[in-house]
Order: sequence, then C-alpha cells, then structure tokens
Amino acid sequence: MLECAAFAFRDVVAGRTTSWTRGVLELNLATLAETAGREPGLIEVRAHVVRPGEPVRLINVLDVVEPAVKIGSPGTTFPGALGSLTVAGTGVTHRLDEAAVIATANLRQFPNPGGPDAVQDSVVDMAGPGANYCRWSSTTNIVLDFDCDPTVSVADIDRSIRRATLRVARDLAATTVDIAPDLVDSFAPAAVDHNLPAICVILQLESQGTTSDTFLYGASVDGMLPTFLDGREVLDGAVTSGAYHWASMRNPTYFYQRNRLIRSLLDADGSRLRFVGVIVTRAYFMSAFEKSRSAFLAAKLARQIGADGAILTTIAGGNSHTDTMLTCRACEKVGVRTTSILAEMGGLTDWVAEADALVSVGNTEELVAEWRPEIVLGGEALRNRSAFDAGPIPVRNYLGATSQMGDMRLKAVEG
Amino acid sequence: LKVVHYLNQFFAGVGGEEAADSSPSRLEGPVGPGRGLGLDVAVTLVCGDNFFGKHEDETLIQLLSWLDQERPDVLVCGPSFGSGRYGYACGTFGREAVRRGIPAVCGMDPENPGVLASEGAPYIVRTEVTVAGMRDALPKMAGLARRLGAGERIGSPEEEGYLPRNLRRNEIASEPGAVRAIEMILAKLAGRVTTEIESQPDRVSPPPPVPDLARVKLALVTEAGCVPHGNPDRLPSTRARAWLRYPLAGLSGLSAESFESVHGGFDVTAANADPNRLVPLDVVRQFEEEGRIGALHDFFYTTTGNGTPVATAAKFGREIGEELIAAEVGAVLISGT
Repeated sequence: MLECAAFAFRDVVAGRTTSWTRGVLELNLATLAETAGREPGLIEVRAHVVRPGEPVRLINVLDVVEPAVKIGSPGTTFPGALGSLTVAGTGVTHRLDEAAVIATANLRQFPNPGGPDAVQDSVVDMAGPGANYCRWSSTTNIVLDFDCDPTVSVADIDRSIRRATLRVARDLAATTVDIAPDLVDSFAPAAVDHNLPAICVILQLESQGTTSDTFLYGASVDGMLPTFLDGREVLDGAVTSGAYHWASMRNPTYFYQRNRLIRSLLDADGSRLRFVGVIVTRAYFMSAFEKSRSAFLAAKLARQIGADGAILTTIAGGNSHTDTMLTCRACEKVGVRTTSILAEMGGLTDWVAEADALVSVGNTEELVAEWRPEIVLGGEALRNRSAFDAGPIPVRNYLGATSQMGDMRLKAVEG
Repeated sequence: LKVVHYLNQFFAGVGGEEAADSSPSRLEGPVGPGRGLGLDVAVTLVCGDNFFGKHEDETLIQLLSWLDQERPDVLVCGPSFGSGRYGYACGTFGREAVRRGIPAVCGMDPENPGVLASEGAPYIVRTEVTVAGMRDALPKMAGLARRLGAGERIGSPEEEGYLPRNLRRNEIASEPGAVRAIEMILAKLAGRVTTEIESQPDRVSPPPPVPDLARVKLALVTEAGCVPHGNPDRLPSTRARAWLRYPLAGLSGLSAESFESVHGGFDVTAANADPNRLVPLDVVRQFEEEGRIGALHDFFYTTTGNGTPVATAAKFGREIGEELIAAEVGAVLISGT
C-alpha cells in the first residue's frame, strides 16, 4: 500500500529559510543553490522560480522532478539514485502538487561518447503557443541552472546534476513532513477478481550510455533483462531519468512519478480490470539478436504473470520503435494482446502486422508557431540559433510533449 | 478577409490555347470564377499554363513577390478540375505560398497531377473533372478559404471534403494517451480492435537469387550516411528526406581522407577510420577484377537511415530502383548499420 499525500502548491516566496506554510513555500534560493552545488564538478548553480504565464523559455532542460519525500525515512527517498536502498512503493510519500524542480545545463559543451547529437534541444515555454505542449508550463518551477567544470567528464557531471536535482526535490518536499496534507491518494491492493481482464504495462526504458540512460534503483538499465515491478514502485521514485535526446519523446523523472498510465490502471484495478504489474524493459539494444531476445523475454514474463493484455510504452524513437514492434509481435505470439503508445516521426519508422492497436501521441515533426520569450533560462542558444529567435520550434524539441507513456493529450490525426 | 486568387489564361479571359504562353500578370479585384467565390478578392494573379510549365522558377518568383506585396489572409487557386497543366500550376503555387506562411486552397480532380505537386501543403477541394463542376466547387473552396483565412480549426478530410494530404496534424485529444491506451486494450480484449495509426505495411519479399553474379552489373547502396568528406551536399545526420548519388569510377576503395559517415545513429569512429566498411568498395573491386561480378555500377547511392519513416524509406527505394533498372543493374548490395 502506497499513500501519496499531496500538498496544494499556491506560491513560492524568497525568504531566509526554506519552509512550508499553508501552500506557500518560503525558499532561501542562496542556500538552495549552495545545497545543489555540493556535488563534484559543479562550479555554480543559479536557482530561479518560474511561474505559469511568465514570458520565459527554458532551454537545455535535462530532468524534471516532482518534490517528494518518504515520511519516516526521508533518507530512502529516490532509493539508490539519491537515498539508501529500500523497496519503493510502500508507506507514505509527501509531494508538492503542481510544483517541479527543473535542471538545466548545457551538456553539449562536453565531448560525448554518444556523438554530437546525443544531447538534443530541450525546451519548456511558460507562455506562448509552445506552452500548450509543455506539462510544466502550468506548474510552478524551481529551476536549477548548472555551470559545470569543462575539465570533468560528462558522465561525472551528469551524475552530479542528477543527484543535486533529486536532493533539492527531496528537501523541498521535506518542508511538509510534520504537516497534514491536503489530499491523500491511496494505492491499496484491490481484491483479485479473476473475471476481469488482466492488464500489465511493458514500460520501455532508454539506455545507450551516459546522457541517454535510465536508472532503476540508482543503476543504469544497460544490459537489464525484462524485470517485474509493482506499479507503485515506479510512482515512488524507483525509476529516475538521465536521458536527454529527443526532448518530446523522452520521459523525465516527473513522468515516472506522476505516471498517468500506472495511476489510471491502479484506479481501475478491481473494477474494470485486473492490474497485474509493470515489466520494465531496456530499449536500444544494438543487435537484432539482443532486441529479439529482450522482446521475447518481456513477452514470456507477461505470460507468466497471467496478463491477457499488455500496454506497451516507448521511449525516444527510431531504434526504440523497433524494440516496441518486436515486443508487440512477441506478446501477440504468446497470446498476450497489445496496445502500443507511439509518437509519429512524420510516420512510423517500423511496423509489424501484429501492431493493430496503436495510440498516437502526436507528430514530432510539426512546427509550433513562433514566439519571442522575454527571458531565457538555461543558456542562450539552441543548437542552430538564438533561443530569443521568434522562429518556430518543432514539437520534438518540447520536453515531454509526445510522451510515449501517454502522459499528455497530444494526438496526430489525418489532415 | 483579404484574398488573392490565381487563374490561368483561359479563366482570366486572356485567351485559349493560343494564349497559353502568356507571362504572369496582376489584375485588380476578382476576375471570372473569382466573382463567384463571394470573397473579397483583392488581386487576381494570372499566368499562361505553358508559360508556367516552361519557366516555373521565374514565374514562381514573380507570383510570390506579388503575394508578398499583398500579404493576403488566404490564397485561392483555380479550380482547375482535370486540367493537368493548370492544376500543376495551382498545386505548385499553393505549395510555395503555404511554405511562406500564407494558407492556400485549390480545387481539382483527385487524378490531377497538381495534387502530387502540392505535396500536401495547400488544401485541395475535390472537384469534377470538367468545368461543369464550377458551381459546386466555388462555394466549397470559398468556405474553406474563409475559415482558413480566419485561422479556424479545419477538420479531417472526410468532414471537410478536401483531398487527404498525407499529413499527420496534431490536435489536443480529450483524454491523455494513457487513458486512451487503457480503453483501447479493454476494447481489443472484448473483440473490438481499433487504432489511431493506420497500418504502414512494407513487407519486402526476398527476391530470387541472382542466377550468375559474374554476368551482372552490381550496384552499392547504403543507409550508413556515407558521403564525401566534408558532406558537400549536407546530408542530415538523421531524418534524411532525400538520397544522394556519388561516382565510383576510377576508385579502388573509399579512403578515410575522401569519405566519412555523418550518420547520427551510431558511433562512427570505427567506420570513419575505414569507410570501406560502410560501402565495401575495396572488396567489390577485387571481386570485379577476379571476374566474380560482371561489373560495378559507376555510382553508389547513400542516405542516412535513422529516423526515416517507413513510407519515406519505401519512396527512396522506388526512386533508386528506377535509376538502377534504367542503368541495367542486375544486383544490389545494400549495407545497413
């Protein structure tokens, strides 16, 4: 049983301390920046507060984290990635509703083993037409803008930024530990009704090296075999992100914490369906053999946990769409029916005949109408031009816009 | 709502076939069918059908500069019915206007070559093949133009009566993708299969073996992003929308000084140390010398294969295939990455 206790976030004010009073977070930005900057390789951290509707564009956005803390054992928050190891998904977690900690840094200045394209433009607009595509245009954001030591490796910098961001998210939520929440979501196990269709999620995680990685209990999922999780573990910080290419198609940590798919399945568990769990798989295996093997093992696991149907999620695109298609085929072959959630890159880069039930979360290639921000945080330049330029930006550069876990409402249609 | 209307020589009253070579002209107000649109046509632009076809580049420059001066809310072209040359001009001009931010509406028969020329940029209202469809076409085109010009949301091709543009347009659904996925799997388990993305089949059956390789001309094709050093034609590292052709005559292999990969989907370090591993020219030349292949085609074909939709890749295949068949190539070695 997991209880997610929400604190309605009304505003944030600068102050001497960092504390929570009836929906208002008082924030000592200097202390916050100092806390965030404690990790190695970080030269300076600038903390900003950004609110919905402000004429602000965030660029070089890495991860987004919802402020959350484990009650009774704050030192186990984000187990493995920040806190000490424990099984996530039980007990009480406090979270600040409609608030987000956003990390920005220009990682393109570092040599990257994944090549010059490994880190892509990643934009959040707080106003203008792009705001419609951004989950975090409607949250109050504590932006941590990192200046990094260029002599340190990108792997070390990335680890420092991830830990700093998770730590700030934990510390902000920790201001509420002794306070009664506004709303509690209880995710208790439902009575098992074998007459209901058994549904699982096959949750695809990206791993192809530093800056394109996802962490399960703090370790890269590189080489991971398909692994069974309780949905509550995902909601409670077991999965954290370090994947920074195609912005619209990747899943920041916030989307794992607030995962709409898992929450909806937990809500429907025992009434419309039987939610039998989450299988996490690694995308971006490099060979056809490894891809087929992972797909085959995920399907086998889905069958073993008794799933009648599986909802397949995808992360990033191209290569990983092949992983999704192979997993779809493998599931259908063993009698587990599938629905897959996919972004369209002007079309699909792969398709199998078994993929007869697909959810479209939007066309990444569409251009979003131009807008000129007054303030840019996270740097000055997009890859090809100034971030102040009013020119249109493709959907694929808006962080999370086409989340293939289905957290957003975008959809591509004929026309 | 400010409208610019495009007509050919015939509908503008300049003349029939004898006037098809007339150069572009600009007339104030509505002319001919433009009077039947019921819209505020500020300017009518006219060009002879043959002139447009023979001098497309300069004609477009002239027409677009007039469009720039007017900055209309919407451009209306035709209707051009089944008339191929007129339809081509309408589709091409409409396409270029849209790419400059001016919405455009055409009207033509679905078989009109102008539909292909439009590349899905303007909206094309379906009309009859002959001018007998004028009365039906004008109000439909005007209705769509009025709403486009006003920036209103346009519905699907079926709802609105325009030809499918093969575009995937984003809209905001009432429920997030996660909720739609749950409904979709429950429906599927109950026997109702639905999808939001239609099937994109491209199953390639293996061709029969080449009967005698020593008698055929072999061609090298790759999606490895292999290009001359410096990437003179700027092949993108991902999402390529075209393929390129480079000569091989006189080369016995691909040197690291002369060729490289710009592919963004894999670590190109090893490939760039020896580009023969992208396009195996060294080995194939040896085979040629030994008589194990009849001959090597004088060009290789290249693109970047990551982020390429199935439909785009199939188009590349058709286009390259046509060239190879014309060059009497009997076998192709495709190196993928």
